Amino acid sequence: MTSPFEPHDVTWNRVSPRLVTAMLVPAAISLGIPAVVGVVLATTVSSWFWLLAGFPALFLVWSILLVPRQVRAIGYAERDDDLLIRKGVMFKSMVVVPYGRMQYVDVEAGPLDRKLGLAKVQLHTASVGTDAQIPGLPPDEAARLRDRLASRGEARLAGL
Amino acid sequence: MSTPENGLDKREPGLDKLDQRGAPDQPGVPDQPAAEDLEWRRVHPITPLVRGWAVVGAAIVILGQQSLDGGPRGGLIALVTSEYWWTLFAALAAIALVGWGYSVLAWRMTTFAIGEETVHLRRGILFRQQRHARLDRLQSVDIRQPLVARFFGLCELTLETAGGTDSGVAIGFLKGSDADELRAELLARAAGLKVARKSPVADARSRTTPGTVTAPAGTGVVGAPVPGTQDAGTQDAVEQAGPGLPGAPEPTAPASLEAPQVPVLTVPLGRLIASVVRSGATITLLVWALGVLVVMIATGELAVISASLPAVLGAGGYLFGRLTGEFDFRVAISPDGVRLRHGMLETRSQTIPPGRVQAVRLVQSVLWRGRDWWRVQVNVAGYGGESEEKNSVLLPVGTRDEALTVLSLVLPDLGVDEPRRILDAGLDGDSRAESAYVTAPRRTRILDPVAWRRNGFTVTGRALLLRRGRMVKILDVVPHERTQSLGLSQGPWQRRLGVASFQVHSTEGPVHPEVPHLGADDAARLMADQALRARTARASAGPERWMERQDE
Repeated sequence: MTSPFEPHDVTWNRVSPRLVTAMLVPAAISLGIPAVVGVVLATTVSSWFWLLAGFPALFLVWSILLVPRQVRAIGYAERDDDLLIRKGVMFKSMVVVPYGRMQYVDVEAGPLDRKLGLAKVQLHTASVGTDAQIPGLPPDEAARLRDRLASRGEARLAGL
Repeated sequence: MSTPENGLDKREPGLDKLDQRGAPDQPGVPDQPAAEDLEWRRVHPITPLVRGWAVVGAAIVILGQQSLDGGPRGGLIALVTSEYWWTLFAALAAIALVGWGYSVLAWRMTTFAIGEETVHLRRGILFRQQRHARLDRLQSVDIRQPLVARFFGLCELTLETAGGTDSGVAIGFLKGSDADELRAELLARAAGLKVARKSPVADARSRTTPGTVTAPAGTGVVGAPVPGTQDAGTQDAVEQAGPGLPGAPEPTAPASLEAPQVPVLTVPLGRLIASVVRSGATITLLVWALGVLVVMIATGELAVISASLPAVLGAGGYLFGRLTGEFDFRVAISPDGVRLRHGMLETRSQTIPPGRVQAVRLVQSVLWRGRDWWRVQVNVAGYGGESEEKNSVLLPVGTRDEALTVLSLVLPDLGVDEPRRILDAGLDGDSRAESAYVTAPRRTRILDPVAWRRNGFTVTGRALLLRRGRMVKILDVVPHERTQSLGLSQGPWQRRLGVASFQVHSTEGPVHPEVPHLGADDAARLMADQALRARTARASAGPERWMERQDE
């Protein structure tokens, strides 16, 4: 059986592998600190604190294993009339956004993203349900995509 | 204007000039012959009185809560009966004075004007706000009459644009007849009819005659939106309601811009009450009451009652809101779209122009199945947010025929020969019966043991129909040209079974069209084909200004 996430006429663009770092650093901070605190408390106060250390550590290992696959799974493709974005390893999802339905495009980059040379492009339609974001793009690619999407949206303008 | 579509908006150069012209402090000075002179008007002078009541009411409610919740028992009563009783009333009077004073200031600072293509509203005391809403982006026009305003015969007019929550323009309060005139004018302008007048609303009746309402040049001869003088081809709505139309072509209200409306149906009070009684909230309430009773008898503690009071009040409040909000629900059709009128304490009169409905849901809970009652909800851009529950109902409860009639008012043409068969199959058919629906494969019964036979979709020439649910039956109808974006998702179990769930993203509202667990091939094909269909449908979609011809 063919996967519905592999339309035959589409070549997928991948995002930058640096996104792995960008996603793992916050995870390492938010999970690593409780883990370290847990280890310290476990060795000094009570061995019950190994539980406190264990869960964050487990999640951290899990993310380190999963995030690279997740990043590889993110893809986007510009077709003539719409943009395709797919993501997910276990829970896959794909969204088709027609250019004519786009209301505006956001380009965002946090401090870590900027350090790594990454940006996130997010498309907004009149629907709040449209979850169309492409993280981990190099800034020039993000700018190119933004301009291209904006111009295509204008060319295919329609109301709601 | 704060609508997000601004970025991609096709702005004519003249329009930008118009927007800037609203900004100077002396409006309406005709400095250029081509420019529009805006007539800035105030809302009704009684408005501050009506708005001020809200402050007093809130103060009383807060006081009441304080005396109930905290402090010594009967604190408020002790105060009232003591010699310092007057302090309470002095405080209330002070609050009222502040509230009314603020409202008077707010009233003085609020002005609005109707331009050729925009509505302008200026308001705010410290933080001035100017809002320009483009009329061709208008999604709906509602007239709301809260209880206090009703004593004075005042209404608030709300014009929704598609900018999301709080993007509308609320003009209030106005005299009832003024609000009606204003609505008629707004709708006529939004429809693309040129309204040749610059006089305040109050003068509209005396000054305006049908002759002053003319279609834009080049669209042929079109008169005021009255039956008989209209181009039948552009007026599906009127044709729809054909049998009920007054036969005489002669306009009944010659001096009004008001489009004629034809009543379609009303919801009898008995049925509304019965439908609310047969709702999940009532059942929950009863079960809860029973549980409380049992616990009380078992433990002999009366405190159980007061402990469960908040939940009971919550459910009761919801039911009360349903009853009063949907009281005396009337549906009518006019060339300007569907008209809804409902409410007991606060009456609402809604107008949804043609083509503004983004998606429709017909839903039936298991308790309504015996009577075959259905509820019809819609997504209209701008109706989202907290007022969703009050605004987005097209029919609170109705028989199957009524529900389908209401559906046909907003989506007159499904693009099939026998719409009734397709709709019936969508309402309560399943995969055991032969139908046009593509259904979820049998292997998905492990994922959705109850409703797997119902999950399915079908495509007509004009719309996508998605059905699902067995206990709560749902049929979602999305016109092809209203598709925003499409989504496909698949979890690990679904991948093992080779199925995927399909979603259509619509604007904010109660309708979230989706079908779970479609066969992977069906889902992939639907995704590809629907994107194409949406594109072609948009290319041939009717104009935003619904009175303008397609072939201009």
